[in-house]
Amino acid sequence: MSDLETYTRKARAWLESVAPTYGKAARKGLSGAQDLALGRRYQASKFAAGYAGINWPTDFGGQGLTHIEKVAFEGEEMGYGMPNAYFGISLGMPIPILMKFGSDKEFIKERVLKALKGEEIWCQLFSEPAGGSDLAGLRLRAEPDGNGWKLNGQKLWTSWAHVADYGVIVARTDPNVAKHKGLTYFWVDMKAPGVTVRPIKLAAGDSHVNEVFFDDVKLTDDQRMSPVGGGFGVAMATLMIERYVATDSGGFGPHLDLFIELVKHLEINGRPAREDGRIRSAVARNYAQRAALEVITSRAMLMMQAGMEPGPEGSLNKLVSVRSRQKLGELAIDLQGGPGLAFNDHAFVKDDWTASWISAPTGRIAGGADEMLLNTIAEKILGLPQDHRPDKNVPFNQIPA
Amino acid sequence: MSLLYDDAQLAIATESGRILDARYKTEALLALIETTSVYDADFWATCATQCWTGIALPEGSGGLGLSLVELGLVAKAAGAVCCGAPFLTTSFGAARAIAAYGSDAAHGAWLERLASGASIGVVAFAEGQSPVPPCPTLMVTDGKLTGTKSAVSGGGYGDVAIVLASEHGVPVMALAALEGVSRHTLNTFDNSRCTADLVFAHTQAEVLLRGPDVLDAARHILALQAVITAHEQVGGAEALMFRARDYANTRRAFGSLIGAFQAVKHKIAELYALVELARANAIYAATREGEPDFLKAAAAARLSATEAYDTAARDCVQIHGGIGVTWEAGLHLHQRRARTLAIEQGNTLYWEDVLADELLGVTA
Repeated sequence: MSDLETYTRKARAWLESVAPTYGKAARKGLSGAQDLALGRRYQASKFAAGYAGINWPTDFGGQGLTHIEKVAFEGEEMGYGMPNAYFGISLGMPIPILMKFGSDKEFIKERVLKALKGEEIWCQLFSEPAGGSDLAGLRLRAEPDGNGWKLNGQKLWTSWAHVADYGVIVARTDPNVAKHKGLTYFWVDMKAPGVTVRPIKLAAGDSHVNEVFFDDVKLTDDQRMSPVGGGFGVAMATLMIERYVATDSGGFGPHLDLFIELVKHLEINGRPAREDGRIRSAVARNYAQRAALEVITSRAMLMMQAGMEPGPEGSLNKLVSVRSRQKLGELAIDLQGGPGLAFNDHAFVKDDWTASWISAPTGRIAGGADEMLLNTIAEKILGLPQDHRPDKNVPFNQIPA
Repeated sequence: MSLLYDDAQLAIATESGRILDARYKTEALLALIETTSVYDADFWATCATQCWTGIALPEGSGGLGLSLVELGLVAKAAGAVCCGAPFLTTSFGAARAIAAYGSDAAHGAWLERLASGASIGVVAFAEGQSPVPPCPTLMVTDGKLTGTKSAVSGGGYGDVAIVLASEHGVPVMALAALEGVSRHTLNTFDNSRCTADLVFAHTQAEVLLRGPDVLDAARHILALQAVITAHEQVGGAEALMFRARDYANTRRAFGSLIGAFQAVKHKIAELYALVELARANAIYAATREGEPDFLKAAAAARLSATEAYDTAARDCVQIHGGIGVTWEAGLHLHQRRARTLAIEQGNTLYWEDVLADELLGVTA
């Protein structure tokens, strides 16, 4: 058995042992606050067992292993429905950026440890009403204020801001230069005076994203994490950190086996659904597509283990899998007819067709909309030209709003 | 077997690509479309010289003893140049059937000849729309075949055929030398395939396999060929994706490279997705021969590859606009080949059913 197999097997055994305490069944019927509290305990137990910060330096409380073990653990963890969503962004982006670009080492160390144990949560304040896919179009202002800075403006779609202790934020410090050259990167205290968080109820009924208002929120210059005007570069560094994450060929929705189970018990016009050509075609094609994504992931893992850089085809995962999750959800509801209309507010997305379907549009937008992913493939992988961009090299304050 | 190519395999991919690219001539391929019964003899001679004819055949029989992975890589290179003959796949399939189920005499008579390219093999299981007919109309009586196999890929030139036939009302797999068998080469939309009806009349045959496993065995031979064809399809689809990309990077309209328009660049990015999914399934399937999931892997590879090649053929022409529909540009060579390969070795409907049967546990 390879080292990785040994590691994975051990991880699975640990997950099995804590699943009754933290997994799907334990979470059923909990209120939001109860689930968050359970999540914090789960995160603390991960830390104690050595499954937090798997690929982070031991100096910062990590395990000093590689992204291979991290991705392997995440892959195993996915099926249990653990209450880990609260920490995904916190530990995925802001904290690694803090470790890399923060200046006060003692402060950073304390924050990292508390975040790893689930005691503190960080959010990432990037998107705004005027800039989502077009991040560099953001408008929130940071102006010099004494020896520090003063923030005014609004952020939008900020996941977990309502439970966050800290956040990282990109703000406009100079509107007189081209849009991506006038940005600066800071960290902020989410409990500071002038910060107002308002949860947004999403289409699926859940409220994990927020709008966040900043009214004369004061920062010290220590909170600056990039050179003045160098914020876009640090924001882009986030994308490099996010390169190695666990993927799911089901687009983080139900596994195909669940669809097959559903099909086996249904009829179409008095005949078994599993004998219906349309259903058979859908099953076969979804299988082929998901199998291919799994091969792409397996190959990437093998390449990493061999010390090679995985191919760019890994970037297809989200694009392909979430679209297919959306369509398969539609078909699953269709198949059930009237009873398919039933909706359970507390169902898990990976277990339930309506829960998966109603939230699938979020998956196609968050973390890179389909259209942006296609642009990235076209430009970065295939070498096709950028779109026509009328705002290119135009000072930000002269771009027509 | 690893999902990552080793150095020797990568060398085969590079070399076969280099050799075939250098010989690719649109004009020559276009000429083949307008005649029947003519294949690209230069391509087939190259296959023999490079030992690609025997690359995945047993060493003891004149082959190189390598696997579907290596032959797949050659087929991918052949697909990229829309190669002018079908025998790389058909001869391989016939030879594998003989190696697996043939007598010593059959081994002696055919394997070395097929491995060296001196003889051409074809596989003639299909009848009508059925890739593996459970009750073939071709009959074998007292070791003699009578009946017709229609639209056999490579049938115009095969020296030996592996067929499914009925003997006493049950299917058997048989081998027949095609000398003296009458062939009617069809005028198809992809004539270099030399697709022909084979008419057997008391043709001497050797039954290779009888009993309950015959249809499974036929399906296995078909799956072996399907994995090779899937690689060929990936090669064709990828070549078209790059052609579309290169054209979009040079052609200007409305004051801009057309590749800057999302209607164009996203179409090409979508092709990239289909090509990579198809490549992944082809790579996996090539490593699964002899494993319990081989049939499923082959079916998945076929479905993804057919979708990728058909879509690439469609969209590459669309991105080229008017020039794309001309005879001279030759994109129709791929359009023709994409559909031909989609049908040879079992069509999409067949492989969907294979997968659905495996996954849903029933036969419709």
